[in-house]
Amino acid sequence: MRLIPKEIESLWTLFTAPTIWALHFLACYITAAIHCAKADAAASLGTTRLVLGIITVAALTGIALSAYLAWRQWGFGSGDPPHDEPTRRDRLLFQGFATLLLSGLSFVAVLFVAVPLVFIGACQP
Amino acid sequence: MFSDWDIGAIFDRDTIDGASLPAHKSEPYRLRISIGARAISRRALPILLAPLSGCSGVQSALAPAGEEAAAIFQLLLVMVVGGALVWFAVVGLLLHAARRRKAPWTEEQASRLILFGGVAFPVAVLLALLVYAVWLMPVIRPWFTRQTPEPEMIEVTGEQFWWRIRYPAADGMPAFQTANELRLPVGERVAFSLKAADVIHSFWIPALGGKMDMIPGRTNTLSLLATKTGVFRAPCAEFCGTSHALMAFSVIVMERADYVAWRRAQAMGDGTGGREGERLFAFHGCAGCHGIRGTASAASLGPDLTFFGQRQTVGAGALANTAENVARFIRNPDAVKPGAKMPAFDMLADGEITAIADYLVGLK
Amino acid sequence: MTDTAELSSEERGAQEAELREVWRTPSGWRYWTSVNNSDIGLWYGSAAFLFMLFAGVLALLVRVQLAVPDNDFLSADTFNQAFTLHGTVMMFLFAVPIFEAVAIFLLPSMLGARELPFPRLSAFGFWSFALGGVFVCGSILFGAAPNTGWFMYPPLATDKEYSGIGADIWLLGLSFIEVASIAAAVELIVGIMKCRAPGMRINMMPLFAWYLLIVAGMILFAFPPLIAGDILFEMERMFGWPFFDAARGGDPLLWQHLFWIFGHPEVYIIFLPAIALMAMIAPTFAQRPIVGYSWIVLAAVGTGFLSFGLWVHHMFTTGLPQISLAFFSAASEAVAIPTGVQIFVFIATMLAGRVIFSVPMLFGAGGLAIFVIGGLTGVMVALVPVDWQAHDTYFIVAHLHYVLIGGMLFPVVAGIYYYYPLLNARKLSDRLGKIAFWLMFIGFNVAFFPMHLAGLRGMPRRVFTYPADIGWDWFNLISTIGAFIFAAGVTIVVVDVLRPKHRQPKEEQNPWNAGTLEWISEPEEKWGVRSIPIIRSRYPIWDQPGLVEDIKAGRYYLPDAKDGARETLVTSVLDAEPLQCLRVGGTSVLSILAAFSLGGVFIALTFHWWIVTAACAVITLVAIVAWLWTGTAVIPRDEMRDVGLGKTLPLYMSGPQSVGWWAMFITMAGDGTAYASLIFGYFFYWTIHNDFTGGHAGPGLLWPLAAAGLFTLAWLAMLLARRVNGGDRPALTRLLLLLSLLLTLAAGGAGLAGPYFAGMDPTVHVYPAIVWVVTLWTVVHGGVGIVMQLYCLTRSLAGRMDRHHDMDLRNVVLYWHFLVITAITSFGVLGLFPELR
Repeated sequence: MRLIPKEIESLWTLFTAPTIWALHFLACYITAAIHCAKADAAASLGTTRLVLGIITVAALTGIALSAYLAWRQWGFGSGDPPHDEPTRRDRLLFQGFATLLLSGLSFVAVLFVAVPLVFIGACQP
Repeated sequence: MFSDWDIGAIFDRDTIDGASLPAHKSEPYRLRISIGARAISRRALPILLAPLSGCSGVQSALAPAGEEAAAIFQLLLVMVVGGALVWFAVVGLLLHAARRRKAPWTEEQASRLILFGGVAFPVAVLLALLVYAVWLMPVIRPWFTRQTPEPEMIEVTGEQFWWRIRYPAADGMPAFQTANELRLPVGERVAFSLKAADVIHSFWIPALGGKMDMIPGRTNTLSLLATKTGVFRAPCAEFCGTSHALMAFSVIVMERADYVAWRRAQAMGDGTGGREGERLFAFHGCAGCHGIRGTASAASLGPDLTFFGQRQTVGAGALANTAENVARFIRNPDAVKPGAKMPAFDMLADGEITAIADYLVGLK
Repeated sequence: MTDTAELSSEERGAQEAELREVWRTPSGWRYWTSVNNSDIGLWYGSAAFLFMLFAGVLALLVRVQLAVPDNDFLSADTFNQAFTLHGTVMMFLFAVPIFEAVAIFLLPSMLGARELPFPRLSAFGFWSFALGGVFVCGSILFGAAPNTGWFMYPPLATDKEYSGIGADIWLLGLSFIEVASIAAAVELIVGIMKCRAPGMRINMMPLFAWYLLIVAGMILFAFPPLIAGDILFEMERMFGWPFFDAARGGDPLLWQHLFWIFGHPEVYIIFLPAIALMAMIAPTFAQRPIVGYSWIVLAAVGTGFLSFGLWVHHMFTTGLPQISLAFFSAASEAVAIPTGVQIFVFIATMLAGRVIFSVPMLFGAGGLAIFVIGGLTGVMVALVPVDWQAHDTYFIVAHLHYVLIGGMLFPVVAGIYYYYPLLNARKLSDRLGKIAFWLMFIGFNVAFFPMHLAGLRGMPRRVFTYPADIGWDWFNLISTIGAFIFAAGVTIVVVDVLRPKHRQPKEEQNPWNAGTLEWISEPEEKWGVRSIPIIRSRYPIWDQPGLVEDIKAGRYYLPDAKDGARETLVTSVLDAEPLQCLRVGGTSVLSILAAFSLGGVFIALTFHWWIVTAACAVITLVAIVAWLWTGTAVIPRDEMRDVGLGKTLPLYMSGPQSVGWWAMFITMAGDGTAYASLIFGYFFYWTIHNDFTGGHAGPGLLWPLAAAGLFTLAWLAMLLARRVNGGDRPALTRLLLLLSLLLTLAAGGAGLAGPYFAGMDPTVHVYPAIVWVVTLWTVVHGGVGIVMQLYCLTRSLAGRMDRHHDMDLRNVVLYWHFLVITAITSFGVLGLFPELR
C-alpha cells in the first residue's frame, strides 16, 4: 500500500487518532445536545443513538487504520523501544511507535465515549 | 471555649417533634486558646470518637435517608475502599523503588509494568466504573412523567437568600405558598420544579440525593424518594452572594397521614385573629411583603409566614427559631444576613418588635 | 568535533569577548530593558512566587475565619473577596506564569539554543503579566477585589449592584494574563519546533520540551474561549448587551460553557509542565535514561487532547440531559489513563535504575503520593452520580488541592531545588529542604484530608461561616492547623531561596551529574551556550564524551558574534538539520512600553476613562509598529552567514519556513479559536430558544453577502500583490495594496451597514447583540488588516521590502487567509442562517 508512504515526514500524523477521537466526541455531544434541546425532556433519543453508533464504528475503523499504518512505520515491531539512536531510522521508528500508542489510547477513549449510547435512551436531565 | 461537641445530640436528629436543626449562634465566637488537662481530654475524646459518629448528621450524604443518596453512598464506599487499596499499592511500589539496593529491573520488565499498571489495569477498572455509573444515572433519576402514579410537582424558587416553595393543588386542597421549609411524605417519589429569581442557586438535600442548580431563565426538575422519616437540612449549593453561607431550608419527611394533615392546615391557614402582634404586623407594613394565610396579609414578595412558629429556623437557616431571634432579625436583617433584601425596622419601639416576634413565633 | 584548524587561545578569547558584548545585560535602570531569557525567566518566576505568597496569605485568612463556627474574623464580603482572589491569583498569576518562567529560563539551554526566537515577545509577556497581577492583587487593598468566585458566574457577577468594580478588575486584569499566555504559546511552539540544536531529532528531544510543546498547543485552544467569554461578559457589564441575561434572551449557561472549555484544559496546562520537571529529575536520580520515553509522549499528547472533552463535568448539576453529561463522564474517566501512565513511567525508571536520595526526589515522591489521592478522588467525581453529591462541597476543594499541590506545587519545589544551581552555582540546603518537605507534606494532608469528610457531610464551598454542632467543627479546626503547618514549610523554602549564600562555596558545574543539555549553561555568562552543539543522544552529557569541553571551546556552530548580533540556529522540525541563522531581538524599551500602554488600555477601560483608553491604544499601536519595524524582517547586509564547521546558512527567510510566518500562523490559530467561540455562542442561543431572533429583524441578506464578497476581493488583491511583488514590480504591488485597502474599507462598511440599517439594538435582546459582536469582531479584524496593508506599503516604499525580502507581505497574506475565512463565515452565518433554519 504505497498510497500512504511508509516513511512519514510530518509530525502531524502523530495526532491522527486523537483527532478522530475528538471529532467523534464532538459529533456525539453536538448531535445529542441539539436533538435534546429541540425536543422535550421526555423525548427518546431514537434514531440518533443509531446514527451515533454508526459514527462510532466509523471512528473505530479510522483509528484501527491509523494504528495499522503506525505499526507498519514501526516496522511491525521489529525493533524494541527506546528508539534513541541519532538516526533517521530510529526517528521514524519512534514516530511509528508513539503513533501506535496514541491509536490504542484513542481507540479505548472512543469506546468509553460510546458507553452512554448503550445505557441512556432518552433526553431526561 | 471552642464550641461544644455534644456526641449525644447527633443521634437525636431523627425525631420530628422537638427536634432542632443546627443554626448559627446569635453571638459570634472568639477563637481563644484554652489549656488544661480537663479541657484537653474533653477535646481528645471527640477526636477519637469522631470517626465512629462521623457519618451521621442532618446534612450528610453519608447518612442516606433517600433512594438516590443511598445508591450514591454505596458506589462511593466501594470506590473509597478500592481507591485506598490502589493508593497503598502505588505508594508502596514507589517507596520500594526509591529504596531498592539490589539489581535493577531490566528495561523490558519495567516497560511491562507501565503497560499493565498504567494501561491494562486502569482501563479495566475505569470501564467497569463508567458502565455502572452510566447505567445508574437513569435509574436514580428517572423521568417522572413516565411513572405511574405521576409524582406531584412542588415548585421551589431560589431567591437571595431564601427559598420560595409552592405546593400545587391536590386532593381537593388548594395550592399554597410557604418558605424555607419543605415537608415530604416518606416512601413516595416527589418531583420539584426548580427556578431562580435572581442569580444561580442550587437545590440540595444531601440526605436524600444529589443536587440540581436553579438557573434564572431555566426551569430544572429533580425528583427524590425519601426512605426514612426525619428532619434534614438543605444548604444552598451554588455561591449566590454575600449570605450564601446563611441560606438553608429544612426538610421534614413524615408519614403520609401526617403529611396530608399538614398540607390541609397550611392550605387553610390560621384563621384566629385579633392579636396585638397581628395588628402591628399589618400596621407597620410587614404585610406589604409577607403573606399569612388566614389573615388579611396576602403579599408574596418576601417569604410566606403562615404557621411560622412551626419552622425550624429564622431567616432560612440563619438563627434558631426563638422570639428573641425573630426580634433580632426584624430589627436589623442585614446584621444577621449581610445583603438581605429586607429593610431594617430598628426605628420601631422595642415593645412593638417583641410583640410582632411573639405573634410570629406563636403561629403554630 | 571539528575538522577545521584549532583556534589559538587568543582567538578563542576574542570570540568570547564578542559574545559577551553582544549578550550583555545592561546595568543600572536599563537592566529592566533586558530581554535575555535568563533575566526574563528569573523575573517571571520571582513575580509568580510573590503572587503565590500573596494568595497563600489570603488562604490563611480564609482558614482563620473558618477555624471555628460563627466566626467574625472576616466579614462576609471580605471573606468572599479573599477566596475569590485566592483562586484567581493562584490559577492565573502563579500556576500558569510559573511554568512560563521555567520554560523561558530553561528551554533554550535545554535545546542547545542561545535564546528563544522572540525574546522581546517574552519580555512583553512578562511586563503585561506583572502589571496585570499588581492591578488585580492591589484591588483588595481598596476593598474592590472581585468577590463572586474565581469563575465569576453570571448573573451574580454581571449584577453591578452586587459585584461592583471587582468584576471589571477581574475581567480586564485577566486580559493581561491572556495576552502573556498567548505570547508564551507562540514562543514555545516556535522555539521547540524550530530552534533545537542540530541533530536533536524529534525522538531525542528532552521530555520537558515535548510536554511544553503540547501545553503550548493547549494554551492556544483553551485560552481563546475565555477571551471570547470575557468580551461578551464585559460588553454586558459596560454596555448592557444581554448575553447572560435570561430576561432578554441570554443564558448564564453560555458563560459556564466558555469558561470551562478554558477551565478544564487550564488545569492540565498547569499540571503537565510540573510533571515535565519530574521527567527531567527522575532520570538524574535514578542514574539512567527514562524508561518509556514514547509512553510519556503518549501521555502528554493523550492528556492534551482528552482534556478538551471534560469541561461539562463542572456542570453536571446544571440540568443538562444525562446523555450529554455521560459523554463528558466517559472522557473524564478516560483521561485518567494517560495520567496514570506517567506515574508508572517514573516508578519504572526508578526500578530500572539505582535511586540516590536528594531533596528534589523527596519533593517529587511526596508530590506523587499526594497527587495519586487527588487522581483517585477525581475518578470518583468523574462519575456523574457521585458528583451530584460532591459538586460544590469541600470534597471538591480537597480533590482540587490534592491534584494541584501534589501534581504541581511539589514538583515545582522539586524543580527549584534541582535547578537552583543554574541560577546561582550553589545548591540549596539539604537540611532546610528536608524540614520544609515534612512540614509541607504533613501540613498539607492535615489541612486537606478532613475536607473530604466535611464535604460529604454536607459542607458547601464558598461559605464564610457554618453553624456549630452540624458536625464540621473539628474538621475545620484541624484543617486550619494543618494550613499553618503547611505555610511554615513554604516559608522555609522561601527562606532557603532568599538567604545570602556568598559564604557558601560554589558547586562545580552539573552538581547532580544530570545528562541533559541545560546543565552546560554557566550562570555567570549570558550567552546561553558558548557554541551550538551537534547532538547525538537524549542524554548528551552522559553519552557524548568531551561534549562540554568542545562546546566551551567553541568547536561547534556560531562560536562568535562577528556582526554584533544575537544569533541562534533554526533547524528542521523532525531531524533538526540546520536551516537558517536567526538574528533575535536584543535589549529594547519597546516591549515595556507596549506592555504598559496596553495595560493602560485595560486599566482605563475598567474605570471607563474613554479618552485615556484611546490615547493608550494609540501609543500601543505605535510601539508595536516601531517594534516590528526595527526588529523584524531586517534585510541583512550579507545574505549568508558562515556559522562554523564549514556551513553557511541564510540570514533571511520568508514564507512557511520563517519563524515570523509560524508566529503569525500560531497567533491566528488562537485568534480563530476565540472567533469560533463567538460563533458557538450564536448557535448556542439558537439551540435554547424556539425562535432565537426573539422577533427582531436580522441584518438581511444583501449587506452581509456584499461584505463577504468585498472581503474576498480584498483577499484576492492581496494574493495578487504577493505574486506581483515576487515578480519585482514594486509600483504595481503598492497599487494592489492600496486597492485591497480600499476594498477592505468598503467591506467593513458593508458589514456594519447590515445590522445598522436593520435598526438592530444590542441592548434589547441577545440576538442583535450577538450579531453585532460577530460583525464588530470581523470589521475590527479588517481594520487590523488595513494597518498591516499600510505597514507593507510603507515597508515597500522605504526599501525594506523587495522581491527577495518579502517576509512582511507573506505574513500579512497569511493573516488575510484567516481573515477571509472569518469574513465568509461571519457574513454567511449572519445572513443565511436566519433564512435557512
